[in-house]
Amino acid sequence: MQREQSLAPLWQPKVRPRLGQHRALNKPLDKGTLFMRLTMAIFLALTVLAFASFDYQGLNIYNAFLGTIANFRVLMLSPQLTHFSLVEAAEGMLITLSLALLTTVIGAILALFFGLLAAQNLSSPLISGLIKGGVAFIRAVPTILWVLIFAIAAGLGSVAAVTGMAFHSVGYLVKAYAEAFEEVDSGVIEALRATGASWWQIVCQAVLPTAQSYLLSWTFVRFEINFVGALAMGAAAGAGGLGFDLFLASAHYFDLREVGFITYLVLAVALVLETITTQIKVRLRVQT
Amino acid sequence: MSLLTVKGVSKHYNERIVALSDVSFAIEPGEFVVIIGSSGAGKSTLLRCINRIVEVTSGVVTFDGLDVGSLDKRELRKMRTKVGMIFQHYNLVNRLCVLENVLHGRLGYKSTWAGALGIYSEEEKAQALRVLRLVGLEEQVYQRCDQLSGGQKQRVGIARALLQDPKLLLCDEPISSLDPNASKVIMDYLKKINTELGITCLVNLHQVHIALAYAERIIGVKRGRVVYDGLTEHLTAETIHDIYGSEAGDLLLGSGGNHVG
Repeated sequence: MQREQSLAPLWQPKVRPRLGQHRALNKPLDKGTLFMRLTMAIFLALTVLAFASFDYQGLNIYNAFLGTIANFRVLMLSPQLTHFSLVEAAEGMLITLSLALLTTVIGAILALFFGLLAAQNLSSPLISGLIKGGVAFIRAVPTILWVLIFAIAAGLGSVAAVTGMAFHSVGYLVKAYAEAFEEVDSGVIEALRATGASWWQIVCQAVLPTAQSYLLSWTFVRFEINFVGALAMGAAAGAGGLGFDLFLASAHYFDLREVGFITYLVLAVALVLETITTQIKVRLRVQT
Repeated sequence: MSLLTVKGVSKHYNERIVALSDVSFAIEPGEFVVIIGSSGAGKSTLLRCINRIVEVTSGVVTFDGLDVGSLDKRELRKMRTKVGMIFQHYNLVNRLCVLENVLHGRLGYKSTWAGALGIYSEEEKAQALRVLRLVGLEEQVYQRCDQLSGGQKQRVGIARALLQDPKLLLCDEPISSLDPNASKVIMDYLKKINTELGITCLVNLHQVHIALAYAERIIGVKRGRVVYDGLTEHLTAETIHDIYGSEAGDLLLGSGGNHVG
């Protein structure tokens, strides 16, 4: 009993909430909260307005809903190949994986070099700023747009797809690599400078060994992104591979079963990639 | 001739932050000199001005007859090989093994690519092993540095510096991150390197009692200025009080007897 009594004062609020503060859980109505609430209110109003003003064209929502469910059932529950053989599908998958690998490798090699120049602790502020600004621009433009830009010169196809995806990969990986390099303890770099080591020696002997687990893990993340990208580019830019097969199955043959099969295939490969990535990360974390 | 002369050296980081102002002293070959001063007095900056990790604002540093400020990139690398440096936080590449870290001491002597790729001659490796034996780490040669204790890491740092075959060893707070036992071990190694290998040592410390126990000569730095430069036995309690501010001085001197020896 005594113990409880002694604890009791702790449970009572030290300062009583003033009037008007009760509902906001004691949070004062400052500028941020006000802005947040205003935004929410506007979203709500817009949502209601949108649903009220849609042109439904006599669409029966109930029937449409049932139709969609039926389509999904076909897609998910009866996957089947009709226009391609399994070997052809596997071949398509191989091409898509190759596209992803190629773009990641090209991106990684270029990004390694530019990442070193972009890292503030290894480069001059001017060069670092220029490169970081440049890659920020590259990243801001979506991959598909880069592919279409390169398609002007190379024509729509695998060349434009690889160039565009590799380009965006460079933008992504330079940022990731540069940040990994900047994490390296400045004291270690200073210590090697003090031994008379040159820039490349410091990079190879201190920076890369320290940052290698980050580099590898970012490269794998990018590989996963590029896998999805390669699939989309196969359909959108005619880069070939499973994405193009998917495009044919859906837009050309209207074959839900085949689309379903390809979806499962992609899902399986994505799961395998995810597992590998996780494993690599776990192993690297153990080492660090 | 002096091994190292520092003449009128000032360092301003900007208009307001003055790390060093008009510092002058000379170090003779074979000396064991300790620089004392409170944190932020400019001790670390002073050491870094000697091997030009930090560029001086004005003044001249002369090492082994060379005007350090006038050296070009290649000459500077060559000069730095002759100046070993050890740090408070050891500054080792944690993911590499002890031997690889020690061999970094040879980088300044090697061609860029041999050094970058880590290609060392048999002789260099044998020398690295000899140095590791000297600091008592022959058992840990292939261990990764992040598995070592603080004292062991600092000994790797010393071994790396020794492999440079230096004439001067700059030690920036070498024991500030270590417990008293490891501190004593490290200070004893530094003293041994000084007396047996004849390598000149310039050591930053803020533990006055350790400075008194090990130094032949003490340089006191206060707010970027040298306020004392002379033999250890001539250093008076008043001067220490002046360097650190009086109350801190009492504290530092009072604890002296407990730790030394």
